[in-house]
Amino acid sequence: MPAASDVSYQPVRLRECEADFVTQVEEHGGRDAHLCYQCGSCSGGCPVVFMMDHTPRKLLRMINLGMKDQVLASGTIWVCASCFTCTTRCPRGIDIAKVMTACRELAQKEGREIDNPRSPAFYQSFVEIVENYGRLFEPMLMAKIAMRTRDGPIDAARELVKDAPLGLEMARRGKLSLLPHRTKDLEQVRKIVRKVREMEVRK
Amino acid sequence: MTDEGDVQEDGATQRLRYAYFPGCSLEASAREYDMATREVFNALDVELVDIDWNCCGATAASSTDHLLGLALPARNLALAEKEGLDITSPCPECYMKTWMAGDAARSSPDTGRKIREALGAAGLEYKGGIAVKHILEILARDVGPEAIREKVKTPLHGLKAAPYYGCLIVRPPRDDPFDSPEDPGTLEEVIRLTGARPIRFQSRLRCCGGTQLLPNEELFMKMTYAILKDARDSGADFVVTACPLCHMALDAKQKAIAAAYQDDMEMPVLYLTQLLGLALGIEPRKLGLDKNLVSTKNLIKSLKAQ
Repeated sequence: MPAASDVSYQPVRLRECEADFVTQVEEHGGRDAHLCYQCGSCSGGCPVVFMMDHTPRKLLRMINLGMKDQVLASGTIWVCASCFTCTTRCPRGIDIAKVMTACRELAQKEGREIDNPRSPAFYQSFVEIVENYGRLFEPMLMAKIAMRTRDGPIDAARELVKDAPLGLEMARRGKLSLLPHRTKDLEQVRKIVRKVREMEVRK
Repeated sequence: MTDEGDVQEDGATQRLRYAYFPGCSLEASAREYDMATREVFNALDVELVDIDWNCCGATAASSTDHLLGLALPARNLALAEKEGLDITSPCPECYMKTWMAGDAARSSPDTGRKIREALGAAGLEYKGGIAVKHILEILARDVGPEAIREKVKTPLHGLKAAPYYGCLIVRPPRDDPFDSPEDPGTLEEVIRLTGARPIRFQSRLRCCGGTQLLPNEELFMKMTYAILKDARDSGADFVVTACPLCHMALDAKQKAIAAAYQDDMEMPVLYLTQLLGLALGIEPRKLGLDKNLVSTKNLIKSLKAQ
């Protein structure tokens, strides 16, 4: 028996749908999402489908019906590992992996409640570091994620201690630097990031 | 745009040159990949020209802002184009983000304009004329089997390698792909050149789940364990990868995964250029083989015994 909460066994209320949702997804990189004819090749090849609440095929249908609230609340978009098997196999040429990326972007920008808060914590911490140094600094990434997802600094430190043995092993082999590497012309990188933000607001 | 490999008037072949975009992992957790790649390219007489690169943004930038995910790698394209060079990265994520930015700048009028506007704010421009290549393409196609075979000094006969492509070297397919996305063969070709034997490996194109390492550890461990187990069950002596994130998953996290699944596996994981470097007779230390977390000592010993 399907669970009662399963959207595919509930009526779709068109009044609660946003007809142009598929266009929004396409504008954020989800190329040709409207072309889906529900063959299911994406779900068939997906290596993480077993962890998803909606299969990729079903999610595409929901996107095309405009079920924005349900799509952006789904765990599927955060479980996606960006392996691009679906994109490679889609007979309609839909960039399905980027459909997932576009949904992640929209969910974050619209301040939606997110199924796995570690994912946006990871993305946002990553981008902050790149904006500051031009390059990623792995120890700081771990620390920022812990700070964002744990209850206060002590709890965050507890998470970091758990990873300390691996960190020490890496350090011993010269694979963990204590200081961030930087792009020399950092101002150039920052100007690009600022411009992108500015263009986003203008839109 | 560059005339690499072209035969000059005097009949000599011009030296291959590329702008080098190692990416963030290669100056930290994947230092040995950087060391081995520089050593191998030097031995093969291919010049890697350093540029003042920035992070490609990986899955993170594009998941927060579509345009940011394109504009960040576009800066590296602009720097390489200024040098008049095609660009290469050993990291499949950096490679994919860079060619995607290049494609978008070239073929999508609206997105292309936005990328140019973002670059313009930093006084940069990208006209769209250079090629983006993963190092596997350069080894298998630009340098090619003859040139590599000539330079192999210590063939690694008797070793069985699990050829692990992972995702982004061949996926998603480009308009003009250098290898098949569903049934590739270049990794096996290069492994064969070293004298090692590429085994039949079912999981060679399966995702390791590396992008979920930090957000969803349970999912990540399940995926990586399946690949390691398949490598062992297929009789591999070691796994060969050309991705720093796959290496982090398969090598650095192997001990934790083995403990979680109560398995006593110990499967060395070599970077492609570490393996090739050994065959070219480069000293293991120079290839950073002492930096892999799962020990490569026995593997190296078995070579010396030959």
